[in-house]
Formats: sequence, structure tokens, C-alpha cells
Amino acid sequence: MSNESRRSFLQIATACIGGLVSLAAGIPLIGFAISPAWKKGESQWVDVGTVDRLKNSRFKKVNYTFTAKDGWVKATKKRSVYVTDAGNAEWSVFSRTCSHLGCLVRWDESKESFLCPCHGAVFDKEGAVVAGPPPEPLQKLEVKVENGLLYVKEA
Amino acid sequence: MKQFLNDRLPLDGVMAHLRKPLPKHINLLFSLGSLAMFLLLLQAATGAFLALSYSPSPDHAHNAVTYITNEVPFGNFVRGLHHWGASAMVIIVFLHILRVVLYGSYKAPRELTWVVGVLLLLVTLGFGFTGYLLPWDEKAYWATVVGIEISSTAPVLGDVVAKVLRGGAEVGAVTLSRFYALHTIWLPWLAFGLVGLHLFLIRFYGSSGLPKNTSEDMKTGKPFYPDQVFEDVVGMLILFGVLACAALFAPVPLEDVADPTNADYDPRPEWYFLSLFQLLKYFQGPFEILGTFVIPTVGMLLLLFLPFLDRSERKVLWKRPIAMTVTSVCVVAIVGLTILGATAPKLETQEETAQPTDEVQQVTPTDTEPEATEEEDVFDFQLTEEEIEGAKEVGEESQ
Repeated sequence: MSNESRRSFLQIATACIGGLVSLAAGIPLIGFAISPAWKKGESQWVDVGTVDRLKNSRFKKVNYTFTAKDGWVKATKKRSVYVTDAGNAEWSVFSRTCSHLGCLVRWDESKESFLCPCHGAVFDKEGAVVAGPPPEPLQKLEVKVENGLLYVKEA
Repeated sequence: MKQFLNDRLPLDGVMAHLRKPLPKHINLLFSLGSLAMFLLLLQAATGAFLALSYSPSPDHAHNAVTYITNEVPFGNFVRGLHHWGASAMVIIVFLHILRVVLYGSYKAPRELTWVVGVLLLLVTLGFGFTGYLLPWDEKAYWATVVGIEISSTAPVLGDVVAKVLRGGAEVGAVTLSRFYALHTIWLPWLAFGLVGLHLFLIRFYGSSGLPKNTSEDMKTGKPFYPDQVFEDVVGMLILFGVLACAALFAPVPLEDVADPTNADYDPRPEWYFLSLFQLLKYFQGPFEILGTFVIPTVGMLLLLFLPFLDRSERKVLWKRPIAMTVTSVCVVAIVGLTILGATAPKLETQEETAQPTDEVQQVTPTDTEPEATEEEDVFDFQLTEEEIEGAKEVGEESQ
């Protein structure tokens, strides 16, 4: 084998070994870093109060907490929603998270609208977009009533 | 000692290189790059010391920053230097880039120097974005929520990027840990690597000089060391003096601890992201992506590849009308949007009135401890065991 072909072989072998080690180390490292992308959260029903106390609510602001896993922490999560039943026991619970970029909307009684303090989004009392940047309506949470308690589904 | 080192290291060669003359007419604007590097070192130094008393967890971060501010000797000063240093770095890097554009210093053969410089601008903004979550106050939390949501609007990979940044579905303990790692390990490594490459390229190609310089002028100016270095050091001294005064006399804000249910808070980012924040207001519905993704991404790509788009050899500004117009429009737009964002009125709402005090408005599920809030119109109320049993009985009776 000539020196030239021997050196060509060494160059290719060095590149292959380097590539192999990079892949063997790189794939698990990247997987480690981006693993949250495919991790699915667990949904759970969380009670937000007794039906008796919430009935006849008109966009009542309700804050509640629940326990959920956040990485290695069993964290107490805080949520804020608007509850309404319009007096007919047909419950609607609106998430206060603006569908634009996640700020918390506020119900304005005089305008009968949800207003977002960040980019001026306006939602009507059904949660539909009236003005501003959001491409989607306000999220309505799934609800159920059991044993006199109103539950919302936390995804 | 000097002889010992000279025998072993090429010190004479390094000194001879540093004493090479710069182009003629080098002015104060050529110190901006050195000032940016000084600020990076100052941020690294103050950050390293702040990290001694910081804890990246939602339970402790805010208390740690309060402790640094109020109890650690010189803590308020060191935090002030770091805080105002971050703002100064954005300004200095912006001015440095503007100087390079106006003097046409990005043109061949310095395209790579420019590309690395724009990457350093992105790293600087990355430092800002990851850094202001760390105090875990209201501004930190909400600006991060909005910032990450912006990334989620990117097509195809937006949601993945947002989840990777957050470390999950929402901003929490994992997010804070990730941002801390990015801010103190990933970005500094990247920054110092890029600065090293930037400096190598600058020394390799030499200073671009002024557009009016003749080829003779390019090698007959003052030497880099000690003349230019002295001017740079004086600039650093003045800059440090300004930052020290700001740290001493302008307290760094620390808002209340982050509360994901506090809708009374009007989220606003740091001033250097206000232009983007304001821009988002103008694109509605299906056009949202123009403000969140298309304009910032296209703008940054145009900036990155500027030397490959502008291939002309002309450097004098008045002979480059397109470059001058585009630069002016961009600067006016960024400054204008920042002012509009900073002066935008806060939202005033008339929320529901006459809430009876015995109403349940804050409740806690039966298996968790309540978290007290101090909102005026939200009454803390935890369901007792008796109430829960009572509610269950009511439910059973009604069935």
C-alpha cells in the first residue's frame, strides 16, 4: 500500500470514527434536550366549587389550584377562569388565557366583553373573537357536575 | 521572567502584531466593539457572583433575588450592574452594528466577520430573554409566557420549539431550570466562542477603516496598541462609571412573585423587546403569523445575509441610497415601535361588581393545600371537610 492511499484511508477512518462518536453521543443528548416535545400531559378533573354557590353566576372570576407534576416537582398549579350558568344550570367555564399569546383576559361588565391587556384582543360573551390579533376563540373548558360540585377538565 | 516567557511563547510576535498600525481617521465609533466585549465580560463576572446566591426554582428564585438585593453585602450593586449592563449591552451592540452598516464595513472580504457579529446580536438578545425569567417575578413570568407563545406560532416546528423551551406544557419549574442553564452555561459558551472567532476575523482582515480612506491610509494610522487600546479603556471606564451610578441610584425593579392567576397585571417585556411586542398588535386573525414569525425571521435573515445581498463595492453612505433608506426606515421603525409600546395605555376594565363576601371564588381541590391570594375582589376560601361532605350530600339528594 502506498503512502498516499494509506493516508487517504486514515483520513476517511478518522472522519468515520469522529462521525460515529458524534452520533452516538449526539442522538441521546438531543433526545434528552427535546424530550418535552413529545411528552403528553395527563388530564384530570378539578373541582372549582359547589354548584349551590356558583349558580346564577355571570362571568364570575374563580381561582383554583390543583396538583400536577411539573418535571420532578409535584407542583400546585394555579388557574383562573370565568364561570357562568346564566341561571339555567348550563355551565360555561372560560379559560382566562388569551388564545393569542397567553396573557390573562378580563371580563368587562360594561362592554360585555373579555379584554386582553397585552395586544388589545376583544372576545364576546361566547368567547368569539371580536377584535384584535387572536386567530381562535377563547377556550371553553370541559365541565361536569358531580355530587354538587362543578368540575373542569385540566388538560 | 519576561525572558523566561519569551523563550517559551511567541510574545514578541504577538506584541509586534498588536503594534501594527490601524487605518487613518479611526474615530470613537470604532471603540463600540471593544465596549461590547467589555460588557460581555462584566456580565459574565457579575453573573458568576450573583449565581453564588441564586436558586433556580419557583419556590426559591424570588426569595433568592430579594436576599441578594437586601441582605448580601454589595448585592444590590452587583445586581444593578448586571441589570443595567444587560440594557447597555443591547444598546452598544445595536450601535456597533449600525456603525458597521453605515461605514459599509460588512463588505468583502469581511462577510464572515459580519455574520458572526449578527449571531452575537442574537446571542445578546437570547441572554436578555433567558435572563429576565430568573427573578421569577410578575414581569419575568408573563414576558416569558408571551415570548414562548410567540415561538409557538412558527409553522411546523413552532409547537415543538415552545415545548422544548418550556420543558413541558406550561412555564414552571422545568422552564426556570432550562432558562438558567441556557443563561449561565449554553449562551456564555456560545458567546465566548463567537467572540473569539469575531476577534480572529477582525485581526485577520484588519480594520475596515473609514469609507474615505485611500489604500495608503489603510496602513499608516495609529498603532492598535497602545493608542487605540488606551481610547477603548477610557471608554470602558466611562461606561463602567455610568453603570455604577445607575446601579447605585436607580434601584433595579423586583415585582411581586409570579402569579399565574393575576389578571390585573399588564404584561410588558423588557424595553428591548417592546418593538416586537408592539408590532404584534397590528396583525390580526390569520395574519398573526406575520407579526410573530414572518417579519422578525425575514428581518433577521436579511440582516444575517446583508453582505451577500449588497455586493457593490461602494462604501460611502451617500452613494448607497438603498442601504441608507432601508437602514433609516428600520431604525425609525424599531425606535418608534419601542416608544409606542412603552407609552401604550394600560387596560382599564370594569369587572363584575357587588360580589357577596360569602361567595366561593377561590377554591382548592380536596387533596391540595390552599394558596392564599391578596386580590381585592377575590376572596380566599378553602372548602372545609364539612362543606365538602355537605356538598356531596346535596348532590346525592338531588340524584
